[in-house]
Amino acid sequence: MATDVSSNDRSRITSGDELLVVEDLKKHFPVTRGIVFQKEVASVKAVDGVSFTVRSGETLGVVGESGCGKSTMARCVMRLLDPTGGKVIFDGRDITNLSRADMRPIRRELMMIFQDPFASLNARKRVGFIIAEALEVHKMGTAGENKRRVQELLEVVGLNPEHYNRFPHEFSGGQRQRIGVARALAVNPKLIVCDEPVSALDVSVQAQILNLLKDLQDQFGLTYIFIAHDLNVVRHISDRVLVMYLGKVAETAQRDQLYTEPKHPYTGALLSAVPIPNPAQGRARKPIVLQGDVPSPLNPPSACNFHPRCPRFQEGHCDVEPPQLYSFGEGHVAACHYPLEGWPLSEEEMRRPSGRAAPAPSEQSAEPTPTT
Amino acid sequence: MALLEVNDLKTYFRTDDGIVKAVDGVNFTVEKGKTLGIVGESGCGKSVTCLTMMGLNNRRNTITSGEALFKGEDLLTMKPSKLRDVRGNDIAMIFQDPMTSLNPVHTIGRQLVEAIQLHRDVTTKAAKTRALELLKAVGIPRADRRIGDYPHQFSGGMRQRVMIAMALINDPDLLIADEPTTALDVTTQAQILELMNRLQREFGSAIILVTHDLGVVAETADDVVVMYAARVVENAPVENLFNRPHMPYTWGLLGSLPRLDADMERLTQIPGQPPSLLNPPRGCRFHPRCPYVMNVCKEKEPELQPISNDPAHLQACHLDEQTKDREAAKLLAGTLAEVS
Repeated sequence: MATDVSSNDRSRITSGDELLVVEDLKKHFPVTRGIVFQKEVASVKAVDGVSFTVRSGETLGVVGESGCGKSTMARCVMRLLDPTGGKVIFDGRDITNLSRADMRPIRRELMMIFQDPFASLNARKRVGFIIAEALEVHKMGTAGENKRRVQELLEVVGLNPEHYNRFPHEFSGGQRQRIGVARALAVNPKLIVCDEPVSALDVSVQAQILNLLKDLQDQFGLTYIFIAHDLNVVRHISDRVLVMYLGKVAETAQRDQLYTEPKHPYTGALLSAVPIPNPAQGRARKPIVLQGDVPSPLNPPSACNFHPRCPRFQEGHCDVEPPQLYSFGEGHVAACHYPLEGWPLSEEEMRRPSGRAAPAPSEQSAEPTPTT
Repeated sequence: MALLEVNDLKTYFRTDDGIVKAVDGVNFTVEKGKTLGIVGESGCGKSVTCLTMMGLNNRRNTITSGEALFKGEDLLTMKPSKLRDVRGNDIAMIFQDPMTSLNPVHTIGRQLVEAIQLHRDVTTKAAKTRALELLKAVGIPRADRRIGDYPHQFSGGMRQRVMIAMALINDPDLLIADEPTTALDVTTQAQILELMNRLQREFGSAIILVTHDLGVVAETADDVVVMYAARVVENAPVENLFNRPHMPYTWGLLGSLPRLDADMERLTQIPGQPPSLLNPPRGCRFHPRCPYVMNVCKEKEPELQPISNDPAHLQACHLDEQTKDREAAKLLAGTLAEVS
């Protein structure tokens, strides 16, 4: 459903402190057949109508299984991929259709930290060059100034400023990820998209990087979109959390709400699947084990795309009528006809939904909001 | 008698830079039908320990010593032909990466049948029936049709199930699972762990579960070995390890874990990096990163010994027990306050 916000109508978008507004973002990859005359036979709907906002200074965590479109979504927000549809409004400006040249000054404010610290640094360049490259591209200072800035950055991320002239292979995984962080910080961005920044690291090093990201946020007032598949990590770092399933938003909520009162059965299943590092507690509970795998986005299930794996699937409803994002107050929305009544639920309770979310909401605030 | 008893196992690799002591004096035992968890950071020697027991290291550049007694027989000195009989039959292994550990050019049915016929003198038909039975046991839907599929037609979680089926096909007494769920999503991980628990109950195999995820260990293991820089630093029953950890490295691991069951503003971080195994630090190998370091730690390597009131809880640290009790209590108060 289209919204009435036009790209010129900035005053309306910037009301409040939303740094990034994403509306109905879509990215479909065409599947073609034929060599000369390529005919589009199908499309992979990697991201299919995702909407969210990120406020200035907050961290939005994005979780979901592999292949659910987290990274594609991030790349569309960064305009590293061109979205098929929808809008990306950054700092009050619609950047969805900007040309490369128009995009360049904005890239200064949107930086990214990548997953693999071994593949994301150019092995043939010195660390000083890698970090200073963005400064040079944006013509942000003389060579001398840039060198001082790089050394300052190295110190900020906890590396020795004298390692300016070293090559990436001389550093360990955790140290390389620090270089990645320094590179993202170099041009004083407003928003940093972290795409699984700690998944490749050991727990002790992971803790170092997570603490560093938090400290930098306090120090420089950064805004993060933090993508991860580890729910523990996301809980630790996020203010709000977005759960994705097969290219769509399953649930969005404040961090504590999402982890204590999940509404979507998928969120519930994810939470109950996380092993707890405490034997007494971990063994007492019974995880809700989802059957099967994530379906192919080439041919997603009808209506609610979670229905083939959902423990509270109701035939004739979930597979016919696509769920809207129903609101549960305070920015907590979930796309489910039969939201969870409480948490934790036993497997038995999980199977027996007590009521439908709409159209008759139990609370005043639970008025269904249309998906955007 | 324990099913497997590993005594002073050492594995050194000759490299161009010198000798890498990848495993340097490791001891542990695995009881029949129990699960032993081995945890530690990458490069601490967890996987090499398993590969050494299975005789899968490259013989040309490996120096091995110590013993690994499986039902009283030493796996390390066993004749290769005898070891081949044991491997895949009495001891089976599941590898980390289900994408690369199946042969892409053979159907999974054929690979399963091969695993049976290597060790049993049965007809192909009988082997196929057994393969089908196992595929059903690990929860492959429509197993009778999928048995003719190639590995690329399966998803990651499914392939890991096929790996488990292949490992269990000869009813092994010991199953070595080397990071079986690391490459998988949490929901798939939950499926696989549940499957392994169920199969352990049904088949009564002992399991060595190698992982870096303390959550997985807490939920599945009976005993836990914590490794650091090629050595065992703590070995205890799972409840004791999580409720009364006795070694600063274990505290660091537990403290650096973001978790669902507790709120922490900042994670406790272990400063620095794990040491190089080319020339590990003198004395206690953890001393350069340890916040409680004393002079003795820099000189003398601590022995793995039982703590005073619990002979099953082994640890290697010079710190006195009062300090340890106090610090462990502090750590648990910070993270486990919500539980009690």
